[in-house]
Amino acid sequence: MDPAFLTIAELGRLYDQRELSPVEVTRSLIDRIAAHDGKLHSFIRVTPEIAVAEAQTAERELMAGRRRGPLHGIPYALKDIVETAGIPTTGHSKLCEDYVPAADAHLVTLLKASGAVLMGKLATWEFALGGPSWDLPWPPARNPWNPDYLPGGSSSGAGAAVAAGFVPGAVGTDTGGSIRGPAAVCGIAGLKPTYGRVSRRGVFPNTFTMDHCGPLTRSAEDIAFFLQVIAGFDAEDPGSEDVPVPDYRAALSGRGRLDGLRLGLVEHWYAHGAHPDLPPAMAAAVEVLRGLGAVVEPVQLSSLRDYTDCKTTISIAELYAIHEKDLKTRPQDFGRILRNRVLPGALIRAEDYVQALRWRAVLAREQAVALKRFDALLTAGALNVADRADPNQPDRLVSSPSITMPLSVGGLPALAVPCGFSGAEGLPLSLQVAAAPMAEPTVLRIAHAYQLATDWHRRHPDLH
Amino acid sequence: MRTDLSYLPPSTPDEIRAMTRRAGLDLPEELMQQFIAAWPAFEAMVRRIPRDLGRAAEPAHSYRPLRIVRG
Repeated sequence: MDPAFLTIAELGRLYDQRELSPVEVTRSLIDRIAAHDGKLHSFIRVTPEIAVAEAQTAERELMAGRRRGPLHGIPYALKDIVETAGIPTTGHSKLCEDYVPAADAHLVTLLKASGAVLMGKLATWEFALGGPSWDLPWPPARNPWNPDYLPGGSSSGAGAAVAAGFVPGAVGTDTGGSIRGPAAVCGIAGLKPTYGRVSRRGVFPNTFTMDHCGPLTRSAEDIAFFLQVIAGFDAEDPGSEDVPVPDYRAALSGRGRLDGLRLGLVEHWYAHGAHPDLPPAMAAAVEVLRGLGAVVEPVQLSSLRDYTDCKTTISIAELYAIHEKDLKTRPQDFGRILRNRVLPGALIRAEDYVQALRWRAVLAREQAVALKRFDALLTAGALNVADRADPNQPDRLVSSPSITMPLSVGGLPALAVPCGFSGAEGLPLSLQVAAAPMAEPTVLRIAHAYQLATDWHRRHPDLH
Repeated sequence: MRTDLSYLPPSTPDEIRAMTRRAGLDLPEELMQQFIAAWPAFEAMVRRIPRDLGRAAEPAHSYRPLRIVRG
């Protein structure tokens, strides 16, 4: 049995039934990565020895009837800004090319305790912001649906590796859309949890006040499995929230019905300027959700431009504080795109930053008011399909508004899942579901019900 | 109608150089040229931030001493 596109849920069942073993799956995926990643560049570093050793341990425990949890024996990979003790963590940057952390990030500690199997470290935009870049020590990752296209970013390797069937799950990070964007353009699921739900300790910072760690998988059900392991309070992360972790898998029950749920559709964010195939795909997704019993009504929020201006002003000021020393001493060691995205932070005045922070509270409150009327918000996961792999593309960070940034401003849980394919390019389109802070169960319930009624998430790229 | 700073003229290359120097950055000329090309889009963005929020509008992040102590 080829395990390449089995989900975490399916692998767990097959382990329980002794039809597949963690070592068998791990070796098969290592071979698959060796055969195909040369054209996708999703991994910066594969760790086959560690993977096989962890898989052997998991196999012994599972055979002895000691199942640690939903990720026991499940292969996964980490965006290379997540620190791993004894394994280089580069940020996909020349600045950290030789950096070997002494300790694991908190979420890695949790994954190790869960018995999951680390396959390696994944490509990212430089320090989770500067990309796609062609002037870094490693090439940018490519989209498995068509390697002439990019997998989005900044969790570019995570999106590509999960979509390519190299791993069933990966950890990415999301400040303005860096989990949801790659998930959207690679045709997989990606969750930005509530700010403070998953610890950021031991993860290279991007924007202190908006950084989130979260999973990318091939289904909403698998997101629940993954989140169950990495969610939780961490007293050493100043942004961490001391809120109990619910049983996310329990949220998936209900036989796929959404009766009684009220969903606010933020259609004006994608009604103009999006890929022409996106609005019809979203309309079809809305009809599916209505058919499952949900009430879907339009809701109006501030413009994408407002949210993008607010988020990016805060981001670049915080980013500059992080990178100021290196920009002053070795600016040439940054990739061009990252350097030109961070340097503007030097010219942001204190009053600009504070006004943006005050505006953030206003915009977040607008979302909170909408979420008193609705159980969840719906919009698109990306405005367009994947970008072509063209080193001469203009920098779109500030020239094009982002449909993922509003939910970063609110710090809300937001999940992107596939909802179709474009006709001309044959590339994935995506739906985004968001809810109130800590309402991940609601988001997962809606996305899981949608995936029980559709099969977009069961389509996979052919790498041959 | 909100007030913002978008009515201001874009900074000139010389002004960008001066602001960069005041920030303590001494960029090689090639990198400075790249930054001069990149800054106007960011400047326009920052100038669109509203400046007329109510006096009591707090920033989204407030100091929480208990979290520092607990951490």
